[in-house]
Amino acid sequence: MRWWVTLMLCAFLTAPASERKVFPYSWDEHDFPNGLRLITIPTDYPNVVALYIVVQAGSRNEVEPGKSGFAHLFEHMMFRGTRNYPPEKYEAVLKAAGASSNAYTTDDHTAYHTTFSKEDLETILAMEADRFQNLEYSRDVFRTEALAVLGEYNKNSSDPANKLEEVLRDTAFDRHTYKHTTMGFLKDILQMPEHYEYSRLFFERYYRPEYTTIILAGDIEPAKAKELVSRYWGSWKRGSFRPEIPAEPPANGPRSNHIAWPTPTLPWVVVAFRGPAYSDEEPDHAALDLIAYLGFSETSELYQKLVIREQRVDILEAENLRRVDPYLFCVWARIKKEEDVASVRDEILATLARFAAEPVEPQRLERVKRHLRYRFALSLRDSEAVAAAAARYVALRRTPATIDRLFALYEQLTPATILAVARKYFVDAGRTVITLAGGGSQ
Amino acid sequence: MTWSTAMLVLLACAAEAQPRLLTLPSRSPLVSFRIVFLTGAASDPAGKEGTAWLTAAMLAQGGSRQMSYQQILEVFFPMAVTVSSQVDKEMTVFSATTHQDNLEEFYRIFRSMLLEPGWREEDLTRLRDDAVNFLRVTLRGNNDEELGKEVLYNEIYAGHPYGHHNVGVVSALQKLRMEDLREFYRRHYTQANLIIGLAGGYPEGFAEKVRKDFSVLPAGPATALKLPEPRPLRGRRVTLVQKETRSVAISIGFPISVRRGHPDYPALLVAQSWFGQHRMSGGRLFQRMRELRGLNYGDYAYIEYFPRGMFQFEPDPNLARRQQIFQIWIRPVEPENAHFALRLALYEMDRLVRRGLSRDEFERTRQFLSKYVNLLTRTKSAELGYAIDSLFYRIPDYNSYVKQALARLRVEEVNRAIRRHLRTTDLHIVAVAKDCERLRARLLSDEPSPIRYNAPRPKEILEEDKIVERWKLGLKPEDVRIIPAEKIFE
Repeated sequence: MRWWVTLMLCAFLTAPASERKVFPYSWDEHDFPNGLRLITIPTDYPNVVALYIVVQAGSRNEVEPGKSGFAHLFEHMMFRGTRNYPPEKYEAVLKAAGASSNAYTTDDHTAYHTTFSKEDLETILAMEADRFQNLEYSRDVFRTEALAVLGEYNKNSSDPANKLEEVLRDTAFDRHTYKHTTMGFLKDILQMPEHYEYSRLFFERYYRPEYTTIILAGDIEPAKAKELVSRYWGSWKRGSFRPEIPAEPPANGPRSNHIAWPTPTLPWVVVAFRGPAYSDEEPDHAALDLIAYLGFSETSELYQKLVIREQRVDILEAENLRRVDPYLFCVWARIKKEEDVASVRDEILATLARFAAEPVEPQRLERVKRHLRYRFALSLRDSEAVAAAAARYVALRRTPATIDRLFALYEQLTPATILAVARKYFVDAGRTVITLAGGGSQ
Repeated sequence: MTWSTAMLVLLACAAEAQPRLLTLPSRSPLVSFRIVFLTGAASDPAGKEGTAWLTAAMLAQGGSRQMSYQQILEVFFPMAVTVSSQVDKEMTVFSATTHQDNLEEFYRIFRSMLLEPGWREEDLTRLRDDAVNFLRVTLRGNNDEELGKEVLYNEIYAGHPYGHHNVGVVSALQKLRMEDLREFYRRHYTQANLIIGLAGGYPEGFAEKVRKDFSVLPAGPATALKLPEPRPLRGRRVTLVQKETRSVAISIGFPISVRRGHPDYPALLVAQSWFGQHRMSGGRLFQRMRELRGLNYGDYAYIEYFPRGMFQFEPDPNLARRQQIFQIWIRPVEPENAHFALRLALYEMDRLVRRGLSRDEFERTRQFLSKYVNLLTRTKSAELGYAIDSLFYRIPDYNSYVKQALARLRVEEVNRAIRRHLRTTDLHIVAVAKDCERLRARLLSDEPSPIRYNAPRPKEILEEDKIVERWKLGLKPEDVRIIPAEKIFE
């Protein structure tokens, strides 16, 4: 490890809260005239470079009815080649570079990532620039790839957690596109082969420099990286499309739903409340992050009771996803016996109600803040992990600076803020409860 | 780390009867531990399958003599550190990574977890439940692909020490008593079985202190495990796992004598990578099955055990085994295409065995692997894990071993190794499906199984399909067995 990184990593835990840098790398940000942004993060890990190309469009952008799952299908299409790099040549270049390459899609963004040896930087950047600007695929190839997406749905379909998420979103939302999962509704997936034109439209709209940020982390020279990106990505044309994402009307719950699972499985309950969008300025979302750990992590009272002492639950976790628009604060529990489902649901609700009734102990709050700092530090174990972590935040605010702003915000949160935020969000109108029970016998 | 230093450590320890110690010091603020015992599920006593798994779980997720599990979690929480255990057939590893700020406090507790276990009944009850729920619900109920892969191993190794899942067998887990675990701990958690791995920014003298602390374990003996050859497979055998599911997950495999250190390992690594490199789109199977025909989400090949492949791109280290299988993983296909997909995979395998790799295919795959191997060890913890595995296999550090062997390798050797070790008969097929009776009838009939496309296909593909759809499996009724999912792992 280079000395300056080591020093920074060591210093961040001992420095006064206001000066702490949780993202320890010295990074650079550059905007090109066409709207493309490049973020370079030199690390001390030798030889390897991790490239993340973040497009700020995901299943949230699927505003037309019947088109759920399209951002994800489009991610698949991006591997179908261009005139200069047909798929075989694309593969051959990756192979020659010994590269590991993949992509993922979420609600708000799609990321294409490749990890490779530093000497292949120019080759990879040139090839990626080509597919982002000149992607070409036939109707037949599109129809075939739509089947691979169905295959992906199929391989996920034996896990009830996927079904729970599908039903939770569909129940909790009426208008916003968070109503559907990134995978999409099965009925839409089955129709995908028919929508070639829409796939081209999706590309025209969102695969544009102003939606895209390139992250390069690892053994790199920022000036050289900037020159290469300018050379290969500089002529990419800016677009003009701005989607109108339907706003979700005010909450009018409580709502609930039940899933009868066809095979034997353990029952689940998901308790969700409408929550705020991600913010590194307003305290609401950050406060709910802390509540997730205070209320439901391994050392929380409820986890100790249900999982360790009474052993009625084997999975308990809270989820407060960082999203561009208001999403949900969720608590998931897998319960060992069907007859305990109602009481576990009530225990979860009572735990959340307590956050809205009385302030948390300041020491407990400090322990959670410390946990989050170390957790983030431990996650930065190689260049790929550094780029991956940065990408998740770049998807929200287009800069890694939001990481330090978020952690600074955590430091400012007091028991009084936690109380106020819990009172604001843990209300009956915003509540959705989903249960799932298996069929057959064990 | 280099081969020579690793060996020096090994030899020096053997002479002094001390625990073996592997260190990869660096200036990182993180410190990674890998504490490995050369024992595992293959040493489960008969009728007590799950002992190795539960013993490790009691250490990693149970209390120590001084502290309850609850108290341990309390102390670990602000450090954001977790101790995890992984049990394979011949290897058990306890791993953790901590920030150097917390090293002293973490290590004090970590040491007591492994050296002074608490053996509390309430921990056993909870962890036994976890084991049973993992087998019945997480694996059997909710993950058809991993289920198919694990059933394939159980079938190939039936009646062999590898013949049950690493987590155990439900009926045996339910009967295990604390004394069984303590006995396993006494017999197998010995210095002779121990390799201590340490990487990152730990202070001077720390590694020696760890070695000294772990010297309180009994000196020996090392686990003596007799491994018979797996029962020879004759023809093609099929196990159909019956469960309510949308699609059909397929795994195909047979034992191979090749493992790291075997003269044909580098050659077979090249063949496997060309044919089906894990989660990469360049492999032959992926191209022919998914890209050209849209059959499913992906298709891959393996020469080493690789659990949890649907969740990760690189294999976990410390799954070293003396015996391995060759395996094809066909991700779930639509039920009407299951017969065709199986035939296509075997057709491609047949083509591989008959034709081998061209010089160009060989060169490109060799170039890929020579660089890709760096990515496998890009974290300190992974580098440490691979170094420990290299001790097990008695090879130099993995990266040098692979790169040097690839540099010398010739395409003729690869094709010879393919012919020597790979085949399309004497193998086992597992499919997880809803309508197993119908699938069985179709497989036995050997009738053509044409595939219907939703878009025109090139002539070359359609002509090849004509051959694939008639590819004879030659199964007899006694070769195809149907098992209800509920009976598996019980």
